[in-house]
Formats: sequence, C-alpha cells, structure tokens
Amino acid sequence: MARPEILKSKFSSVTLALIAFAIVLNMATGQLVSLLKLPIFLDSIGTILVGILAGPIAGGLTGLLTNLLWGLISSPVAAAFAPVAMVIGVIAGLCARYGLFKTCWLAIISGLIITVFNAIVAVPIRLYMFGGITGSGADFITAYTLALGKDLFGSVVITVFTSNLLDKVATALLAWSIVKALPERTANRLSRVKSATT
Amino acid sequence: MPQPEKQSGNATLFIAGKSWLHRLHPFNKLLYILLTGVIIYAGPKGWPVEVFLITLNGIMALTGGVFTAAWRLLWRSLLPLTLFMITIHGFLHADNRIILFSFGRLHFYQEGFVFAINVLLQLNAVLTASLLFVFCTHPADLISAISQAGWPPSLAYLLSSPLLLLPLMHTRIRTIQAAQRSRGLDSEGNFFKRFLALFPLVTPLVLGALVEMEQRSIALEIRGFNAPGPTTSWRTIADSTGQQAARWTMFFLIILLIIGRIFR
Repeated sequence: MARPEILKSKFSSVTLALIAFAIVLNMATGQLVSLLKLPIFLDSIGTILVGILAGPIAGGLTGLLTNLLWGLISSPVAAAFAPVAMVIGVIAGLCARYGLFKTCWLAIISGLIITVFNAIVAVPIRLYMFGGITGSGADFITAYTLALGKDLFGSVVITVFTSNLLDKVATALLAWSIVKALPERTANRLSRVKSATT
Repeated sequence: MPQPEKQSGNATLFIAGKSWLHRLHPFNKLLYILLTGVIIYAGPKGWPVEVFLITLNGIMALTGGVFTAAWRLLWRSLLPLTLFMITIHGFLHADNRIILFSFGRLHFYQEGFVFAINVLLQLNAVLTASLLFVFCTHPADLISAISQAGWPPSLAYLLSSPLLLLPLMHTRIRTIQAAQRSRGLDSEGNFFKRFLALFPLVTPLVLGALVEMEQRSIALEIRGFNAPGPTTSWRTIADSTGQQAARWTMFFLIILLIIGRIFR
C-alpha cells in the first residue's frame, strides 16, 4: 500500500521529539487546569504549539495522532474526532506562517480563526455520526437551542462554536506566551520560532 | 506531597490474552473497523444491518474473551450519550409529529425516538468493532507491525513514545499543582482571576516539557534514529497468506462500497 510521502523521515529528530511531547501535553494539560473549574480543556495546546514551532504538516500530524492514541487509551469515541484535531494543527501552522502569532491581539485572532475551522470539521461529524449529541455538558446548549425552535444543524453549529470559542482563544494565547518565553537555547533548535514571533 | 506514580503497565485498554483475536494481525483488525464504518455510513441502511454487525462483534468479543470488558466500556461511554440522545431528540427533534406519551405539557415523540435509536445503533456497531481492536492488540504489536510493513520508524516512535511519557507528565502535573497552590494561586476567585491563573499553571509544564524534548531529541540523534539503511526489529508479528488475503478482500469491499455510495 502507498505510504504518505510526508512521513518519509522528513522530520528532524527535534521535530519528532517535539511532536511526541505535544501529544502528551494535549492529553495531560486538561487535568492540570481542572482545579480552576473553567470551561477550558486545553486539549489542543500541544497541537497549536507544534503548528507554530514546526509548521502545518507537523501540527496536523500531532492533532491526528493525539486523538488516535486517545482512542487506544480511554475510549474509541475520541478517534472519531481525529480529523478535527488535525485541522486545528494545520490551521495553527498556517496562521503562524502568515504572522498571526506575532502579538497578543493577533494570537486572539488566530484563536478565532481556529474556532471557525474547528466548527467546519466538527459539525458534520457531530451531526452525522452522533446525531448532534455527544454525551457531554455541551449537550445542554444543543437542547436549549433546539427548545428555542432551531433545527438540529443550527443547534449543533451554535453548540460547537460556544463550547470551543473560549477554549481555542485561551489555547492560542497560552501558546503565544509560551513561544515568547522559550529559552534561547531551545528556540535556536527550532528554526521557526523567530519567524513566528518577530 | 505528590503521590509516587503507580506502575502503569496498563496505560492502554489492552487486555492480555491468547485468543485468535489477539493473534490476528493488527492491520486486519484495523481494516475491520474501517469496513464496519463504511458499511454503516455508506453501505445498506437500516437497523437489521446494524443489529447483525453488533451481534457479530459481540460473538467475536466472546470468543476473544473480552466480552465483559467491552460490555463495561460500552456502558460507561454510551450511557450518558443514550440518556441525552433519547431525551433531547424525543422531546425536541425538529420532525416530531406523533406523540408517544406526555408529562403534562411535555410531549415525547416517536420520530425523535426512532432517530435517536438509529444513531445509537450505528455508533454501537462502529464502537464494538473498534473495541475488538483496542482490547486485543498490544500497542507494541501495532507498532512492530507498522515498522515491519515498511512504514517509517518515525511513525512508530510517535505512537509509542507518548504512551511512555504520559505517566511522567502526570507526576509533573501533581507537582506543579501542589507548588502553585502553596504559593497562593487563586483557584476560587472570579472568572477573570481564574483565567489569569491558567498562565502560571500551564507555562511551567510546557516549558519543562520543551526543555526535556531537547534532551530526548539528542538521545534520538546519537542512537542513529534517522540513519539510512534497513533496520531490524526485536518483535516479529505473525502473518499468513490467509490473513493477507482477508486484508485485501476487506480493502476491496471498502472501495466497492464507497464507489457504490457515490453512484447511487
């Protein structure tokens, strides 16, 4: 069977190690901030970081593999949303390439752009595979908008937007502040840091 | 004080066993998930197909000795979903016409109920197929199969390394939480204060991980990870012509079903 060309050892060992750590950050950071009781899960912090530091392809791969591994570790339901996670990484990488992570305000705009693309991919999956319901707290928003007389599509769009907006903007801001704070020694090994932030 | 990390040889859902499902080549099980998904979402519609697939998966789980585990996980992940799905669609689905029963002014409708049951059956079929893979495939087997099939070792590294790093990261998370609490991090204040508290919590975790990442990458380099030439593997995955034939059959079935869907 054909193998994707992009995987043929195009990544340096720094990028590989970076992706591996980013996958773990995606899985674990949510637990760290759970004590703040915010509607923020930060499950794409690593994906967005890799997008900024190593480009859209590496970012997309990080998101994809995170959700596939999640399927192995906790529940296969997570694997169904792997395309969503992949798109987040690709878009974050493209935002960084076009200079949208240079300042705090631009990072917020990147967060908004990521939310939009997140919705474009997540809404069809949620709608056709899950009938609009995923068994999480966000379902209350869907129920509320349905009760207001919206159709299922409209309700799911509103749900995905509102439940992701704060999370994605917060993640983009955190990623920006972290890239800014990178020690010089590490930054030098990741060639894209300078072009993404200055 | 942070708890010492438990020995987590069981980081994934894998259940040790010697059944035929465990011995099956990982790619066969993966393709079976794909095939199930394609049958459900692109193949013939209707509940008989879904019920047939769920029963088939149930029988396979029984013969593989993972039925109770699969049953438990299904309940855990589908129970909240079922409750939300049936109530929300039963009461609020846009096509609702025929009333099944009423609580005062609240009416529960047939159309929403049928829609919910249908979605749940479809999900159940795909989920049970993927559980067969998840419960009966050791992650190391999957990774060895990937490298034996000639895929780049970087992919195998990216799938295996996070599984080993995860317990380390959990230990570090508990340390950071304890440290930031003891220096008076405000985790009870208003929304904006809690939002700002994100930064002192997340930054040390990520920066620490990035510095460690650098060391790991040096370790990869000095072990010749990107070296050209053939590599050998300690673990070999049994494969047979029969299994290869089964793989190709499933592959062509998937292609046929997709083509059939496009031209319908």
